[in-house]
Amino acid sequence: LRQRLAISGALVALAAAGWLHLRQQKQNQQRSKHLRQLRELGLGSAGFELRDTSGRPRGKRDLLGSWVLLYFGFTHCPDVCPEELEKLGEAVRLLEERSELPPVLPVFITVDPERDDEEAMRKYLREFHPRLVGLTGSAERVREAAAAFRVYVSAGPRDELGDYVVDHSVLTFLLDPDGICRECYGRASTAQEVARSVRGHMESYEPLGE
Amino acid sequence: AAGMAAPTMEERKACWGARDEFWQCLDSHGDDAAKCEKLRRAFEARCPQQWVKHFDKRRDFLKYKKMLETEGYRPPEAAGKS
Repeated sequence: LRQRLAISGALVALAAAGWLHLRQQKQNQQRSKHLRQLRELGLGSAGFELRDTSGRPRGKRDLLGSWVLLYFGFTHCPDVCPEELEKLGEAVRLLEERSELPPVLPVFITVDPERDDEEAMRKYLREFHPRLVGLTGSAERVREAAAAFRVYVSAGPRDELGDYVVDHSVLTFLLDPDGICRECYGRASTAQEVARSVRGHMESYEPLGE
Repeated sequence: AAGMAAPTMEERKACWGARDEFWQCLDSHGDDAAKCEKLRRAFEARCPQQWVKHFDKRRDFLKYKKMLETEGYRPPEAAGKS
């Protein structure tokens, strides 16, 4: 009887292992497909030319070599941008807790260059994360940057005080060290989910041309 | 930069707090704005005009969404349409 139990046990274990392996394979396939689709979209591949809050020119090439979490927003934003930046800061903090992972560079690009100059952004961004880089520029350069990521931007009508809000896509983009967008996170994702996802991408990352 | 500076984190939180108090009042008075005038004024005082408009729209949207979830979609009745 003991022998029969042992054989059954081994068979069950084997079946379970087989099933887990197949499931893992399917997940890998889905992930590859997802990555391929994102790569084909080529978000951000057109590049951009902007300035950081110290007035230093920063382009897409300056981000190469780093993992980047990039968010488009504006400082006069009523609720969405503070919430998304809070989430972004928290995700970066969670990733910082794991010393074995490479650092992630959080980046904010304004969709309201008319009001969001270097000083406005410096004041705004420091409340979310100390390493959060702010980028601004001329209206045209900012438009190009948003277009490179297919971010919808539409400034609303000005009221009698000259105030307005800017309607825009709410997305946080994950760029790998080769500058390729590997994921984008929307309103529904939590800081924990973003951190977990970024970690997953870091672990499966294979540098181009090596 | 043109015009006024963006609200600071503290100012944002004060605005959101005033908004939440106003909305809580509306919730407990069946959206009767007349019963919540004082809180409405406090909300308008604490938030930029553009944000008040934004949050008013958001409340309308949230109510509409809730209605869809509880009552389902009811197409508007249009007289004379087939």
